[in-house]
Order: sequence, then structure tokens, then C-alpha cells
Amino acid sequence: MIDAKPGSLAESLNGTLHDLMDSDESIVIVGQDVGRLGGVFRVTKGLLETFGPARVRDAILAESSIVGQAIGMSLSGLTPICEIQFEGFVYPAMNQIITQAAKMTTRWNGDIALNLVIRVPVGGGIRAVEHHSESNEAYFAHTPGLHVAYPSCPTDAAAMLKHSTKLGSPVIFFEPKRLYWKRRQQPRDPAEPVSPVSARIVRRGSDVTVVGFGAILEDVLAAAERVASTIDVEVVDLRWIAPLDVDTILESVGRTGRLLVVHEAVAFGGIGAEVVATVAEHGSHHLKAPMRRLGAPRRIYPPADYEKHYLVGIPDIVGAIEEMCA
Amino acid sequence: MLRHMLMARGVDEEAGLLENQGALDLWLSCRGQEAAQVGSAMALGDAVIFPSYREHAVAIVRGIDAISLTAQWAGRTFCGWDPRPHRFFPYTLVLAVQALHAVGYAVGKQLQDSAETVVVYVGDGATSEGDMSEALNLAAVESARVLFLCQNNGWAISKPSHEQMLTSIAQRANGFGIESWSISADDPEVTYLACLEARSHVETSSSPALVELRTTRIGGHTTTDPHTTYREPDELAAAMANDPVDKYCRALVDSGTVDDEWLAAVNADVADARQGLLKAFAS
Repeated sequence: MIDAKPGSLAESLNGTLHDLMDSDESIVIVGQDVGRLGGVFRVTKGLLETFGPARVRDAILAESSIVGQAIGMSLSGLTPICEIQFEGFVYPAMNQIITQAAKMTTRWNGDIALNLVIRVPVGGGIRAVEHHSESNEAYFAHTPGLHVAYPSCPTDAAAMLKHSTKLGSPVIFFEPKRLYWKRRQQPRDPAEPVSPVSARIVRRGSDVTVVGFGAILEDVLAAAERVASTIDVEVVDLRWIAPLDVDTILESVGRTGRLLVVHEAVAFGGIGAEVVATVAEHGSHHLKAPMRRLGAPRRIYPPADYEKHYLVGIPDIVGAIEEMCA
Repeated sequence: MLRHMLMARGVDEEAGLLENQGALDLWLSCRGQEAAQVGSAMALGDAVIFPSYREHAVAIVRGIDAISLTAQWAGRTFCGWDPRPHRFFPYTLVLAVQALHAVGYAVGKQLQDSAETVVVYVGDGATSEGDMSEALNLAAVESARVLFLCQNNGWAISKPSHEQMLTSIAQRANGFGIESWSISADDPEVTYLACLEARSHVETSSSPALVELRTTRIGGHTTTDPHTTYREPDELAAAMANDPVDKYCRALVDSGTVDDEWLAAVNADVADARQGLLKAFAS
């Protein structure tokens, strides 16, 4: 089955940015090649032509400058949406993100709203060169003062981006590269999330809860479909990895009694560890089987020829589900 | 200006004593930099200021009281004053990051059709950080109305300026296409006039400028910095002999600009402020 909505993630984000800029004059776009080129992934395509160079700002090649100036712009009353070209290039901006953006509201004794979105294309599976395929969300999730968004589909991404611009708190907005131009999508339960920042149960099931987020959620849903004749899998899309929607996870595990967490990032010290630890602390009485995590090994992301072996794939997820429910 | 300098000196001394007693956790003395700070601050009108963390005399010029100024060094808050009405933003302890915030703020105000001059204070040590170079370059290419004020007190904790850079900070600004001045800032009036000229340049040309304020460090980097272990006795003695507060006070007394009565009234205000600090933090 294919979802009725035809748009890709890049198209959805592009349309949302057009809508946001149209309805909110405080929004400015700051990033490398976001104007003339429309962004390396074309997510900001057409914005320069519609809104002009004052609001769609091709930044100089310096990530700390992009985020640092955006913090100042936000303090001046604007709502900057930054683009970092690839997740592997965010590190020169880390000082501004972690020591400044994340702490600014607290430093001002809560008297400011720091509207600031930092869009970061993330993840692999696209045969990219070094630094262009990694999943580094755990660094940001670990940092108090940051919201971390990690959508898994175009419609969610649109709603989450809109919400991000009005949070009054900086948001690291991860965009899975693998989904940018993908049009086919696994079918999902149409239930709306409880709140704009909560997780979403995208497939109802009774035997095992599989928690995921981002591009790999498609693989989780495919795996669930593959075992559907014998195992009834429930799938939770975290959507926001910080703050983490603990309630939805615990509620689901309370019904299924089993938990598997799947992500593209290195498993060690990752979001999966946090989810499993949270359930161990608050929901272990529900468990019928040991919890499990699937993530990448703690090894440097390999050259493209080897990435298929490095990343978690559908057979890995199927195998883990079958072992847990045996 | 002398009033502000004497107040800054008094608050600085009292805070140092309070730290010594354990009533404050840390204090970063501005002793010796009062002329650079007061002279520059008086030239800024009501421009928004992005300070570093040692601009206590600037804060006093901006009407921030001694207790509010000291609260964060007693572990009570990260910022003891309300930044917006004083147009003096919170102290930033990570070096040079605020330089980029200042540029973004200036660009942001320009985009909202309410262009204004924005001032950022940094020290000589901070100029080695990448963000300082990025901010100078960004301000230049964006024609941002930012006045960079760099207090060069000769030391980045224990690293002397001549080991930090081969050219002056003012020369470096020129390399980015930014107009600059380098002045001896131990006299508040000279400092005031230079900063007034620089601010006027920013406003008339709608482009950034930098003033390197060559100033004097009499104390350590912080109250926990045993600076006498790495400073030569002669250099330290020269710094103490060059005390800008003493020199300016003597000059104004000698010229008859102030008299004993005026000084007594100011000293009474300073004593009140010191007493207030004692009550607030030593109880």
C-alpha cells in the first residue's frame, strides 16, 4: 500500500517554509546556499524569489556564524530558521548551540522567548562521502535547553516545523536525507498525536512495541508487515527525541509487554539506551521479555560501499522481533 | 566619569573582600580598567551592549546597582539585572561568542527597519577565538552597525599579549575591512572622545568599527588567580603606579574641577554601596 499523500519530505518542508514566511514576517532563513541555489537538497527552493534576499540569506561558509548571528537575530525579535548543510558540519556551531542557544533563556531568567530553528539533514543510506551520512542526535538530546525534532514523514515534518517556530526555545530539527525525495510510504494508523510534541503510535499491535524515529521508521513498519501473520507489532514513532514522550512509550509497553528500540545512530550511548533505561525504571513490571536495542555498531561510519552492512536493515529488525516473541 | 570610576573601584574592592571571606564564589576584578570602561560606556548613548564578563564599570554607568551586579558571583543567578531596561545584556563567560550575537542583533534590527548601533565588549584573550574573526568578517560583509570595543589589558590570564598576536587587534580589524582605532585608554576623557568618534563612524557610515582600548590590569584574572607568580614585580609595580582612578582623581582635584566636598559626597555613596553588598552577601 502507498500513502495517498504524494509529497516527499523535501516538498513538504519547502511548502511549509513558504507558508510560514508568508504568514509570519519575523521568519528569516539563514544558511549556506539557501537562496540562489535553494539549498543543496532544494528544501528552500523558490524562497529567495518570493521573499527576497533580506529574508532568505545566503550565509558565509561558517557554521558558528550561522548559529551565532541567528541567536542575535532571535534576541532582536526575529525567528531565524537556520540550515546546516549536513549533520557532519554542525560541529563548528556546537559551541554556539550548546553553550549559548541552549542556555540563553535560563541566563535571561526566563524573560525571553528564543525562537530559533536549526535544520539539520541527517543520516545515511544515500551513498554519500565522509561526514555526510551520520546520525548525531544523541549529542543534542543530551543537552538541556534544546528541543530535538526528528520527523519520519512529510506530514509530521510540516506540523513539527510549524510548531518549532513558535516554541520560544531553540529546536534542532533533523531531516532524514533518505526521505527527502522518497514518495512511497508504508501505511500508517491515522490517529493524531496527543499533542504537537508527543510521540505517535503509527501501527497498533499487541505482541511487541517497536520504538523508532526518522528514516528507519519505514524499515520498522516494513518489518512489522513482514511478520504480521504471526506477530502483532505495535510501532511508536517518537517524533521528538527531546523532550522524550515517556508516557506514550510506557502506555504501549504496558499493553504489549515487550520493547525493541531501533535507530540508525550508534547504539552505544544513544536514544535507544535512554528509552530502554526509562522503561527499566518505570515499566519493568510490564515486561514479558528482556528489552532490546538495534543500532549501528560503535564504529566510524564506513565508505558507501559498506554502509548497507553497517546500518540496521529490515532483516535485523524482523530477526529481533521474532526472537523476542518466540 | 570620576563618580562612576570611584563607584566601580569601591564595588570591585568590596566584592574582592567578600570573595576572600567566602561570601562570593568568585570575582573578576576590573581594577585598572575603570577609565577604559567608564570612558567608553559614556560615549555609547543608549546603544545595546553585549558585554563579556568584566565590564563592571560599564554596568555601573548603565545604572545597575552593586547587589544586582554581584549576585551571579554569589551563585544566586546567571544574571542579576534586567537586561532590557538597562540595555546591558547578560555577561557571557564563553569567550567571543557574544560578538556573533551582536552582529546578528544589529542585522536583525536593520531587517526590522529599526536600525540601531550595537556594542560588544571583548578582551584581548577573546580575539584569539575563531568567533571573533568570524564576527569581524560577518559584520564587515553585512555592513552591520556594530562597534567592537576590545579592552587589551596585556594579559589572557597568564599569557601576555605579545605572545598572543603579532599584529595589533586594531590592525587585524583593518584586515577584515573594518575601520579601527588603537588608543591608550588609561584616561577616561581620551577614551570617551575616541569612542565617540568610533560610534559616530558606525552611525554615519552604517558599517562596523573597532576600538582597541589599551588598558591596565592591576589585579589577577580572577580572585583565584595567583598572578604575582607569573608577573614580573616591575611590570606589576608599573601597572599599580599607572592606576587610572588615582590619576584621574588627582587631575580633577588639581584642576579644581572637583573639591573635597564633592569627593566626600561620592565617597559616602560608595560607602553605602559597599555596606549594601556586605548586608546582601556577608550575612
